[in-house]
Amino acid sequence: MDDTPSAQTSAAQHPTAQNNAAPDPSASDLVQAIIDDFPDHKPGTRPIHTIGVGVEGYFEASDVARSYCRAEHFGGQRVPVSVRFSNGSGSPVQHDGWNDVRGMATRFHLQNGATDLIAMTLNGFFVRTTKEFIAFTTAARQRPVRKASPWQKLLDMLQLKPPLPDPHPGQTASGDAGTLEYANAHPVAQLAVFQAGSIGAPVSYCRAAYHAVHTFIVTDPDGVRRPVRFAWKPVAGVRNTDPTLPPVDNYLQAEIRERLKQWPARFLLMMTIGESGDAFDDPTVPWPAHRVRVVMGTLTLTKVAEDQAAAAEHISFNPWRLVDGIEPSNDPILLARRDAYEESRKRRGGTACPFSHGAQ
Amino acid sequence: MAGLAEWFERFVDQLPNTRIMQFVAAYVLVPFWAWRTPVKPQAGGPHYSVQPGDNVQHMMNLIMPLKDKSAVGRAKAALAIAANKDEIYAGLDNVGTVHFARFVIVGDNICMFSVYDGDFTNYIRDFIATIGSVFDAVVGLVEGGEDVIPSESNVEKFIDWVHAHDLYQVSDQATDLFRDIEAVSGATEITRDLRLLPRDLILQLHVNPNVSLGSGYRAYPGYSVAEVRKQFGIGW
Repeated sequence: MDDTPSAQTSAAQHPTAQNNAAPDPSASDLVQAIIDDFPDHKPGTRPIHTIGVGVEGYFEASDVARSYCRAEHFGGQRVPVSVRFSNGSGSPVQHDGWNDVRGMATRFHLQNGATDLIAMTLNGFFVRTTKEFIAFTTAARQRPVRKASPWQKLLDMLQLKPPLPDPHPGQTASGDAGTLEYANAHPVAQLAVFQAGSIGAPVSYCRAAYHAVHTFIVTDPDGVRRPVRFAWKPVAGVRNTDPTLPPVDNYLQAEIRERLKQWPARFLLMMTIGESGDAFDDPTVPWPAHRVRVVMGTLTLTKVAEDQAAAAEHISFNPWRLVDGIEPSNDPILLARRDAYEESRKRRGGTACPFSHGAQ
Repeated sequence: MAGLAEWFERFVDQLPNTRIMQFVAAYVLVPFWAWRTPVKPQAGGPHYSVQPGDNVQHMMNLIMPLKDKSAVGRAKAALAIAANKDEIYAGLDNVGTVHFARFVIVGDNICMFSVYDGDFTNYIRDFIATIGSVFDAVVGLVEGGEDVIPSESNVEKFIDWVHAHDLYQVSDQATDLFRDIEAVSGATEITRDLRLLPRDLILQLHVNPNVSLGSGYRAYPGYSVAEVRKQFGIGW
């Protein structure tokens, strides 16, 4: 875990934590709120992004990366990485083909430590603060769901309103209705809810783009600090399954095994540089497409890890596991994730980061 | 009865893709909702912003309907461009803020698509100063164009005319359509119901048939013409 002075200063100066009269929810509250959204949550597993697969590979920085960030993994040498791809749901039941956000957590193994980069297929988050997060997850509690009647669908069509999608085969409950209600009452959540509602299922974990939605501050060798956001772009391109076909529950892990047996899979790491006026501390707002975008390197995935218990279940990532050259921004959600991820790790008995030196 | 109910469900599920439903939507539902919930057309061009990255590499998508909607009319437009090629290229070099520019004929429209840096009105002002006569030749062939030429004598009117023919740029983020509707209609006139967002888009496209989808891809966003040329060492 990173315990750089800059990171600690950033957290201490956090405005939301200081200024709101009511106390912010604790890390335990945040984790429990997610668990409560998935009634079939299995103790000892992740509360969200429960189903995943661990993959190995390496990262090679681009020639220009070091001129923007002095962090070790942008130095140009080949850096071993561990990646965990996941489905977003907190249910222990695998539904690869369902409409769901996917995750890509990457650990860069450095000479004297490690750093993590956590990303997902949505390009923005649902809320700005931990209090909003509690309200959002409360709204997202699962409710019984059934197929809309044909008369309701006809009524929707007459209003030029796309009918609600039918539940997936076997699906009896969903949080979609609650998230929609929340979004209609809270415009900040609308973009993420709208995108999540039609995000679909990728044909492969290696054919999706993943966004680390929070802002980080990178420092170059001359000490110049820049606000940035990272994203992984698949070299194979983005492609989803056909939404008109019945979803397949279990194919993503077999697909990546087969894919990597034949050929490595690659991702470009893109870094977008923010400008004054951009939403540095608000993960619900994507930055404009006009910002300077730098290719920071290429990730090459070579094989699915043999020990999946270690590589997919016990491994614990944390967006605050940072190294010299990268600092967190004052984003309240990013701040909350530091302790929430650690709380989640403890609850499920995950492996503490061997490089944390006891820091939380 | 169960069989009939299942048939009806399947029929309704497939209905949006049937010709009858497409006909009803196009000629009944859209006009009805356009009447019931009137929508104002969004203004063309990029959104206003004071941030530097938003003020380089603007897209201009100018769609100008030709008066003569025949092959002869389109050929006249093509000739107007061809006859002034040197003037256009020299003018673009002198303006100095244009990344790319091209004229295109699409159907019965002469179109100018360009990528430029800086303020829109200054961009058009520069054009009038450098290739106003070319614009006059082209705009003279376009519906309503006679009211704004010669451009050098009708600068402000000409700028407004060009702006009116520049396409609305739908935001890169889907829900920003709500923001745009608020901007032209007022916050109280919209519901911000996510399930009605598709209808909002349909009704905007009803009053604004030609739009730019998103702000466009940029290989090297955030850099001006001047910076690119300086980096390559090719000066002016």
